[in-house]
Amino acid sequence: MKKLRWLVVGCGLLVNLPSAAVDLPAARLIVKPLLCVIDREAGQCSLTFRIRWKSEAAAEYCLNDSALSTPLRCWPSASAGTHDQQREVSEAFIYWLGAPDGTQRAAEVKIDVLRLDSPDRRRERRARHVWDVL
Amino acid sequence: MLRLIMRVTGNVLKIAALCGLASVVHAQADAPDPSTTATAVASAPPPNERSWRIGAAFGYGERTNPLIQSDDIPVLVDVDIAWFGKRWFFDNGDVGYTLFDRSSSTTSLVARVNDDRVFFGKTNTRYVNFAYAGNGFTTGLPPPAVAGGSEDPPPPVEVNPPDRDYAIELGVESLLDGDWGAAELRAFHDVSGTHGGYELSAHYSRRWTVGRVSIAPTLGFSYKSAQMNNYYWGVHADEATDALPEYHAGAGVNFEGGLVTNYYLTRHLRFALSVNYERLADEIAASPLAEDDYVVAYFSGFAWTF
Repeated sequence: MKKLRWLVVGCGLLVNLPSAAVDLPAARLIVKPLLCVIDREAGQCSLTFRIRWKSEAAAEYCLNDSALSTPLRCWPSASAGTHDQQREVSEAFIYWLGAPDGTQRAAEVKIDVLRLDSPDRRRERRARHVWDVL
Repeated sequence: MLRLIMRVTGNVLKIAALCGLASVVHAQADAPDPSTTATAVASAPPPNERSWRIGAAFGYGERTNPLIQSDDIPVLVDVDIAWFGKRWFFDNGDVGYTLFDRSSSTTSLVARVNDDRVFFGKTNTRYVNFAYAGNGFTTGLPPPAVAGGSEDPPPPVEVNPPDRDYAIELGVESLLDGDWGAAELRAFHDVSGTHGGYELSAHYSRRWTVGRVSIAPTLGFSYKSAQMNNYYWGVHADEATDALPEYHAGAGVNFEGGLVTNYYLTRHLRFALSVNYERLADEIAASPLAEDDYVVAYFSGFAWTF
């Protein structure tokens, strides 16, 4: 009897805990492009990102940029959305879709940066070996 | 023996002179420019790079083999293994120690294995009834020395391309770059006693990047000493036959042009396409051991860098 009481209390606690999976329907976030390639002559990429998202159910979603403290755009009650953003990129960052208060993330996409030039020019030594053709 | 010592000493002096010249040029180029110092200080710190660079490319490619009776060299996998420390580095078989690292140039002592030997690794024995005459040409074999002469064609003669060894070479390498592109100057001398010769080379390349595509053409030349060319491409007295006449290769210059293009799919994966053409020096091309006067290499495939 005592064990049953503890079980009921435990279940009650679990039900009352805030949960991202329960509160915010899962969503799919698609961003293009996903890569910024930087070489010697340019220290950053100037890209226009096309961002699309779709969720299983309508809810209030906000699109965020990990480099910014405030959301880029919010949709009060929607199950899909699109957004275009012109952005200068010099470091990797994340676009994420979440609740307006920023506590939950429904989906996220990382934008990578690839630097072709290196401060160590030995890394750019020419391929010289017979089997080395790149 | 004395002649050998003098010859080696002379070659080392030539290399030292070249390196000295390169160092002077570097010193002038590296002198701080008051107008650019502030910019350099204000620029963002370079990103941390891992010491190891490991990658592999899978695709299809080939390097032609200019040696007679030999197969072209297929390239299906191109493995890239390199490690860069502050001074020491290892780059796909080359071991180096950086002497100077300045804003416009990096000069290192490098030990490497000469690659000319690779052409001699895929040879076939053949029986021929002609003589190799260099530049890919052949001539009739001399008639058999039979008293009274003979109308019969000469019997086929066995021809085995000679063996050659790898050479360990030590030298100086300077890498320079700027807005104008990048250049590599190299001076290497055999320290393994294999050929006793030396090689001087210079290459220029420039890379353009647009979006995810980069394209980098390269131009260059290599001067190879008579000892080096003769060891690999000469037909030595003890190797000469009726079909493979004795030949002494002199010094010469190989010219080279290439193009490497990459399309970056992700931070680690790219599609690569490369082609390279090397025109062999006349002294090499004229050797009975040389079937072609060029080496063409190409590769197309996907490359992964960890």
